Amino acid sequence: MGQYSKEQFARFKKTYLENRKALEPKEWCNIKRTLKSEFKHINDDNIDATIIGACQSEQLELAKNYIDFITHSGEQPNDATLGYLLRIYNAKYHSNGSSPESLSDGDQADVLNIWKILTEKHKILDSTLCENLIAGLVTTRRWRDGLELLDMIKITRAPSIFAYTEFILKAFSMKDSSLGWSLFEEMMETIDNSRQPNCKIFLTYLTEVSDGVQDTTSGLEKMLQTLEKYNLLVSVKVIDSIKTLAAAYPNLLQATHCHINYMGKCSNCQLSLQAKTLSNVEFEKLRNSVLKKVVVGGDVFQKSTPKEVNDFLNFVDRTAPYDCVIDGLNVAYSKGKKKPQSLADMLVSVVKHFAEKNKHVLVLGRKHMNKWPKNSVQYVKDNASMFLADNLSQDDPFLLYAALKSGPNTDIFSRDLMRQHAYLLGSELKYIFRQWQQQHQYSLVTKTASGRIVIKEPTRHLVCAHKTESTWHIPYKMQYTLHSSDSFEIPEHWLCLNIKKI
Amino acid sequence: MFNKLTTIKNCIVLLPRKTVEFKRSLQSKSSQVITEAVCADQNHVENSTNPFAVNKKFKANMLENEKEDLESFLSATNTDNKMGRPAISPEERERRLKVLQLEAEVARQEGKRVPTLDSLKDHHWDQIIAMPSRSARMRLYSFLWRNAAIAESKKIKKQEKAAGAQERIEAIRKERAENPHIVYGLGNVSMFLRVYDTTINHWMNHRLIRAMMFSPKIVLDCSYDNQMDRREAENAAKQLMLCFAENRAHDDPFDLHYCNVDLESACMKRLQSFIPTMLNPDFPMNIHSECFTEIFPKDNIDCQKDLETYNADDVYVIGAMVDKRHAEPLSLAKAKRLGLRVARLPLDRYLQWGSGSGKSLTLNQMVNILLDLKKTGDWVTSLKHVPRRKVIDSKERLASFYEKQKNKVNVRVDKIFDDDNAIFKPVNSVRSHKKYLKFNLSTWGSKK
Repeated sequence: MGQYSKEQFARFKKTYLENRKALEPKEWCNIKRTLKSEFKHINDDNIDATIIGACQSEQLELAKNYIDFITHSGEQPNDATLGYLLRIYNAKYHSNGSSPESLSDGDQADVLNIWKILTEKHKILDSTLCENLIAGLVTTRRWRDGLELLDMIKITRAPSIFAYTEFILKAFSMKDSSLGWSLFEEMMETIDNSRQPNCKIFLTYLTEVSDGVQDTTSGLEKMLQTLEKYNLLVSVKVIDSIKTLAAAYPNLLQATHCHINYMGKCSNCQLSLQAKTLSNVEFEKLRNSVLKKVVVGGDVFQKSTPKEVNDFLNFVDRTAPYDCVIDGLNVAYSKGKKKPQSLADMLVSVVKHFAEKNKHVLVLGRKHMNKWPKNSVQYVKDNASMFLADNLSQDDPFLLYAALKSGPNTDIFSRDLMRQHAYLLGSELKYIFRQWQQQHQYSLVTKTASGRIVIKEPTRHLVCAHKTESTWHIPYKMQYTLHSSDSFEIPEHWLCLNIKKI
Repeated sequence: MFNKLTTIKNCIVLLPRKTVEFKRSLQSKSSQVITEAVCADQNHVENSTNPFAVNKKFKANMLENEKEDLESFLSATNTDNKMGRPAISPEERERRLKVLQLEAEVARQEGKRVPTLDSLKDHHWDQIIAMPSRSARMRLYSFLWRNAAIAESKKIKKQEKAAGAQERIEAIRKERAENPHIVYGLGNVSMFLRVYDTTINHWMNHRLIRAMMFSPKIVLDCSYDNQMDRREAENAAKQLMLCFAENRAHDDPFDLHYCNVDLESACMKRLQSFIPTMLNPDFPMNIHSECFTEIFPKDNIDCQKDLETYNADDVYVIGAMVDKRHAEPLSLAKAKRLGLRVARLPLDRYLQWGSGSGKSLTLNQMVNILLDLKKTGDWVTSLKHVPRRKVIDSKERLASFYEKQKNKVNVRVDKIFDDDNAIFKPVNSVRSHKKYLKFNLSTWGSKK
């Protein structure tokens, strides 16, 4: 609400409104006067909504009292005021347990009345009013009528997570799981990829699904499949809820915490986690897009020249397949030294690591690398294929293209997170790219004084919730975060859940 | 519009981009004028031995930057955010307009920074309907609200001042009536004739017209409209206007040409609102909708042009683009495509660059630098146009000075208080001078 000093407004709330249920008309007039004088941006049009917005979620009576004051002065509350009032009803509903009886009949009638007023006033409602109406309608029995409000929001913007969440929670608590899940999928498709849904959804679902044996297992499976589909990481509260569910049906479900070792093996059930593989189709798509979008991008001159791209494509056709493609400069500069000798040494040690295992590698670099110490450059040339790009060109896209062209088993060696390339591929391919990257990217951790290099290997197993035979392995995090991390850490905490077939 | 098609050897093309990349383009094949453009590319500045180092906010995926988060680079290359929007039917537009008006009204009632609906005119609504997201709309409303609030507070102040005006006038009149002597001075009795603004304008225009005949040319390439969003385009227009104004006011103006102009674009529309007479045939501003390659014939010049010694015979092309959002080497790309030579200003060599705001320069700063370079031939004076906040901060400077001097005796302290001395590096080391003599494009981007 505006950008006035937050502390100032908090003080105002405390002095006048805290813990009050009702105020005299005189006191309301006084408050209005004070507000208008203290805060420059508050005027007659927005003061009503400001005051209602200042009422805490428990202060429903106070808000209603103010509305009465307005009507007694002869005016009607404006749209924004009604909207905020609906939010307070919604907050009360949730604090009373989110059941159909949480709000009194009188209050529910109020809400429906407000709905009638607003829909009669405007043929099409804007997104804020729609969302506030949704918040109000889910407290009543006529919540289904609110679904058309979602479509109304879509005219001007994508519906927010709040709107979807409210409907999903209501659908689950009214035992309409199919509607809930379809809305959930719609939500995941439309919202920003980095935001995660609220864990309340899963908690509500689990409480509803715990009636009846048949429902439990299939319902649980459905939830876990959704987690897998959208690569979601749940919080520990959901895991506790699953465990209580498992305790209620001990002959069907067994849930235990476990650890996954680096080979992908579960410490509890000793099963190996599913290895990540991209399907052929996905791999093809990824490969084609990389050439088009990342190497060439909007303008091939931005990253390279057409001649160079052609030379590179021919080179790769000649010398592929590789076991690993090394980003020469990224590796060389890992330690932060600047002298050509140290740079060349880093590269040599990495190439040696692979050469000793008789692997065929491709090293990408730039033309100025020819100026490095001759022995090192010669060693690299003898033990690997080497392609040097122009000093003006970007070499990362070449790296990705070479690795993808040479096949699904080729790894890359770089510390670069490649975020900008992931972005360029577009949202659906971004996910595939990230999977491929997690599975195939080696990175150099450090080089010890003795000359040995420490490498971080890629994780070959899936890191989302998935099923192997009849056991689900579910990763979770200790705290709910609004945004999913785009990181490359494998989750530390896992739950091993065995679901017996009936 | 003046038709400039004589065999002019050199024209500097300034592309209307806010951050100027001054490109030097060289025609690699036969014939014609070599358009030289200095390309400002950030990476090159960092690791080149090359003296031409105008930096720009262009990203460079070079060595040092490889580990950085390059998300800003190559992000949001939304080239058709204005152009490719499909036309919507009038009913659809009407419906959308209503909803958006309601949205604005509700937001205002909630206390958000939205101006009153009356103050939003049709052209505002055209812009608002075309906007992609609600947060973009809210930002625009916030901007308009702020403008309205500022205007209102100015009005209040003016009224307050006007209240006391009558007394002040009376007081002055009384004083004058009491004074029996003649009052000398401007506005009273003076020996000076008033020089009107129009006189000065005529004189400056005349100089410009003379410049068109005799001075070297600079081309501003306005072809980057679809890479800029609306705000950037409007900023670019303001800089273009400033270029023109500062060029006109200088002792020795260039002959400016605006090429690749699309008169329907946001940038040009805004420029027309700044300079309404821009398209009049007798206004000394050269607008071309063709590309500069078509207008200026190209000579074949083999020798490498060294920006070290500004050559009045070269055509300089400056890319006129504001790229606040993403730093892509667009004009470097264009230069490569057209086969033109590129060069940069030797910023690194002459200035100690501070950490803020990257090495990008606005168009008018660029033109000022070139104007002074032409006039004095001295880099130190011409680079004074680079804003101080970009060069090394005085605290940093002091700290670094103390660091170096702490072990010395007999330190001269007065040097640090001399502003100019501190930020300009001494150019008297013989060895470094020799390094910068030759400009070699292929080794340009490499490290030292």
